[in-house]
Amino acid sequence: MDQNKQGEAAEGGNIGHPAHGKNQEEQSNPMIAPTNPPKKKSLEEQLNDFWAAQREEAKMTTNFKTHSLPLSRIKKIIKTDKDVKMISAETPVVFAKACEMFIKELTIRAWANTEARKGKILSQRDLVSAISQTASFDFLDDIMPKDAGLPRTSIASTENAYLNMPPQQNVAGLPYDAPTMAFPNLNHHAPN
Amino acid sequence: MLPQEQDRFLPIVNVSHIMKKVMPANAKILKYFINFITGEASNKCQREKRKTINGDDLLWVMTTLGFEDYVEPLKGYL
Repeated sequence: MDQNKQGEAAEGGNIGHPAHGKNQEEQSNPMIAPTNPPKKKSLEEQLNDFWAAQREEAKMTTNFKTHSLPLSRIKKIIKTDKDVKMISAETPVVFAKACEMFIKELTIRAWANTEARKGKILSQRDLVSAISQTASFDFLDDIMPKDAGLPRTSIASTENAYLNMPPQQNVAGLPYDAPTMAFPNLNHHAPN
Repeated sequence: MLPQEQDRFLPIVNVSHIMKKVMPANAKILKYFINFITGEASNKCQREKRKTINGDDLLWVMTTLGFEDYVEPLKGYL
């Protein structure tokens, strides 16, 4: 008796299953938008997540020997400052981690600019924009190229500039479109 | 012969070369960051009549200069 019930359940158990009937059509229909589309995180949310992850990573860190940046190079850069007399052993270690976080933060901010202009490639102008938009990065204003944030010249204006150029000359001082009669030897073929 | 794992990826030198072309200023930016923090830490040490810059000086400077988010993760490295 129980076996029959199990058999019935096995055969007809999928009648009211949500994957069939009307629901199945809704699930497989690509035209019906999902109820909750994935929401894009704002820059502020991304940075909050990033700093939370950094704090967690710092708590979990047990190996302080390996670093993503060379400590000797960091030490050299520090020593370029004439006022610096001595530095403690942990100073380059702290700087190595600080630089790593600095690169990551700058990249997140620059990538937000890339996405804002519907771009796919993070370019130098995104970096410049990120620096100009962040108060704590003001010290970098002097070294950033001023023209990196400007849009590139359009093709039309480039063509116009080319058309208005004076005729170029080759090394010999003759125009490129000079007739070959200027070089009579070139017209003569070697006798058979 | 099975290909080595590294042969299934693009050569790191080529990737680095492309990255350098896109971001030529990255290394310079880091140098400025280090010098910026070091300079302020050095001033702090001079004011306090000390000769050695330590980790606490760096964290204090970072807080002062608007990099306060860096401080908590860096405390574990002191």
